[in-house]
Amino acid sequence: MPRHLLPILIATAIAALAASSPAFAQAQRLQIGGYAMAGGINFAASESFDAVLGSSSGSFFGGGGKVGLPWFGLFVDIGAWRFKEEGERVLRADGALYKLGIPVTITITPLELTGGWQHHFRRGAWRRLTPYVGAGFSSYSYTETSTFATTSEDVSDRFSGYHLLGGGEVKLLKWLGVAGEVAWTTIPDALGTAGISKEFGDTDLGGTSFRLKITVGQ
Amino acid sequence: MKLLRRSGATRSACLLAAILIATSTRMGRGQQAPFSGSSRVMMLDGGLPAIDRGLRDQDLPREARNRAANIEIVDRSELPLPYLRGSVIVKFKDGAAQNSMASALSQVSGSPTTRDAWADFDIVDIPPGLDAESAAAMLRARTDVEYAQPRYLNHAFSKPNDPLYANQWNFPAIDMERAWDIQPGATSAVIVAILDSGVAFRTTTLRYNSRFAFRLAPGGPRYPPLGIVDVPFAAAPELGASGSTRFAAPRDFIWDDELPVDLDSHGTHVAGTIGQVTNNGIGGAGMAYNVRIMPVKIIQSLWDEIFSSPNEGTDDIVARGVRYAADNGARVINLSIGRTEGGPAPVVQDAMRYAVGKGVFIAVAAGNTKDSGNAPNRIADFAPNIDGLIAVGSVGRTLEASYFSTTGPYVEISAPGGDQKQGGTSAGILQQTLNSDALETYNLPPSQYGPPKADEFAYYYFQGTSMATPHVAGFAALLMQQGVTNPAAIEAAMKQFATDKGAAGRDDVYGYGLINPRATLRGLGLAR
Repeated sequence: MPRHLLPILIATAIAALAASSPAFAQAQRLQIGGYAMAGGINFAASESFDAVLGSSSGSFFGGGGKVGLPWFGLFVDIGAWRFKEEGERVLRADGALYKLGIPVTITITPLELTGGWQHHFRRGAWRRLTPYVGAGFSSYSYTETSTFATTSEDVSDRFSGYHLLGGGEVKLLKWLGVAGEVAWTTIPDALGTAGISKEFGDTDLGGTSFRLKITVGQ
Repeated sequence: MKLLRRSGATRSACLLAAILIATSTRMGRGQQAPFSGSSRVMMLDGGLPAIDRGLRDQDLPREARNRAANIEIVDRSELPLPYLRGSVIVKFKDGAAQNSMASALSQVSGSPTTRDAWADFDIVDIPPGLDAESAAAMLRARTDVEYAQPRYLNHAFSKPNDPLYANQWNFPAIDMERAWDIQPGATSAVIVAILDSGVAFRTTTLRYNSRFAFRLAPGGPRYPPLGIVDVPFAAAPELGASGSTRFAAPRDFIWDDELPVDLDSHGTHVAGTIGQVTNNGIGGAGMAYNVRIMPVKIIQSLWDEIFSSPNEGTDDIVARGVRYAADNGARVINLSIGRTEGGPAPVVQDAMRYAVGKGVFIAVAAGNTKDSGNAPNRIADFAPNIDGLIAVGSVGRTLEASYFSTTGPYVEISAPGGDQKQGGTSAGILQQTLNSDALETYNLPPSQYGPPKADEFAYYYFQGTSMATPHVAGFAALLMQQGVTNPAAIEAAMKQFATDKGAAGRDDVYGYGLINPRATLRGLGLAR
């Protein structure tokens, strides 16, 4: 299946699910909120990140806004976060990896636009919980700077892909909540043309992330 | 045989070994106390300082010793500007009015940024398309501006300050200035063994016995025996002080002692390319200028033959030298030697396997026979079978293969070795070595022939794969210092980052291409 069709299919599925669910009857007013988030990501290009940064995972911080639409429990979300880590340039030769002691800084700043469906429990013990799923477009700003590099040797580029996510929000107060979310992102062909990612054949800048959010608003 | 090319007439005989003419044992000049024939005696440890005779750039080119594409140049137009685009530095005069400053900024379509700590000036953003130097000039012309300038980029001063560095085209040709930014000359923790004709590493006086007359060529003039002679040696000023820790575990396999002094000039020149003292405001530069040098003499010079050295540079001597270096702390071995006559050299191959197995990287010259039959160097032609041993071809100043550089399936990498057919004397590799006028008195008529002096030095341009090989050995030392300690990994890295030349991929002329120390030392980031 062509990659670009997947988000469309997922969005269609979410819409169909929303239309057929009890939430269909939950047509609400517009809900506007914002959030701050912290999380961790496990990069798909695990060997490459591990080689340069010493780990294939890392933490990030970000925030965003969410609008609950008055139809079918649908929502749209726009969020951004930032991952920044320092590592060392490396050399892979004769099957071994050598760290060269030359500092390199990787900064990834994704912008994510998500559409999804959320379910509001109206009664019972679950009424504070709002599970949700979504999918959307991701635009990743990627910069790589290192000591001894000329301007043309540093990297500053933007790549796009898509993501799927799911999670649940628990309202602590009417206007305050916490949410946990798992997202899977693919940013194809962002890596692999040079650097250690080419050595390892890693091309995807995405990964799987867990986010913890503090939400405000209704 | 040293793989440096010299004029045939003068040395064709590396030679003359075959025509040493036994004569009566009468002693010549300098005859002194009883003396054993095939030995030498240290008469004085220490002595007068070395004499520097300066640059010898008017000498005729020396042929690369031997008995036996397309140019890819860094595109200078791609070099970054020496300053940042999009902003300039401005300092307004004290008391400049706000509207005056605003007027100044509008003149360059500029906008101020927040002033940084420890700054009494401002950074003004300007449109990226506006040349920063022009913008600064416009601002400087105003009466309310104290100064304005582009944001020029500073960098480490890795360009050596040695005055003859300007003549060493070979280092900029392989981007060494930026490589030294990353790895400035390694350290004394890395020992590079130079297995060669010896190295001018010690100030001393040795007594020799010249017992035989000889001719340099059949029918040529006869040179008489000199008898017992005292030969002064000095440490090359650009290599290090005599007796200093710069030199590690010296060993002479030609004379079976620990005085591997150079009576040829080849080994000292090679040593200079690897480790010539750099940034001392004197002479030239070397690749890995902080390493320790292990002088190991495994080939004889003409003088050693005249003085009847007990050993010559046979395969077994070479093999012993290799093993000695490996057992005594060398991390890199340079072999700017070889032979084209005879069959394989399993004894050398075995020794090299032993050394590589002990973590020693070996660079060996490919040979200088391309224009004379292209016979392979028999102590290099097995290099592809040993990861950690690399056979080195030569390129000239144009970065095209040198006319003499032997080609073949065993050539693995290329480095600057000079090509004086394409540029004259100065297209060779410049280093300090022994002054040939004082050393090679056998090039004079017999009436002027006398004992050599090995305490005078000058800067000579040599050419040969002998000269290319120490670039690779020095490069290996830099990689060792950078943490790449496995010889096989060093070889793989050199090949991986080499600048491909000639036919795409590996070829028999350049191997995997021209060494690229800067790119190799810098390694890889995540995406670039």
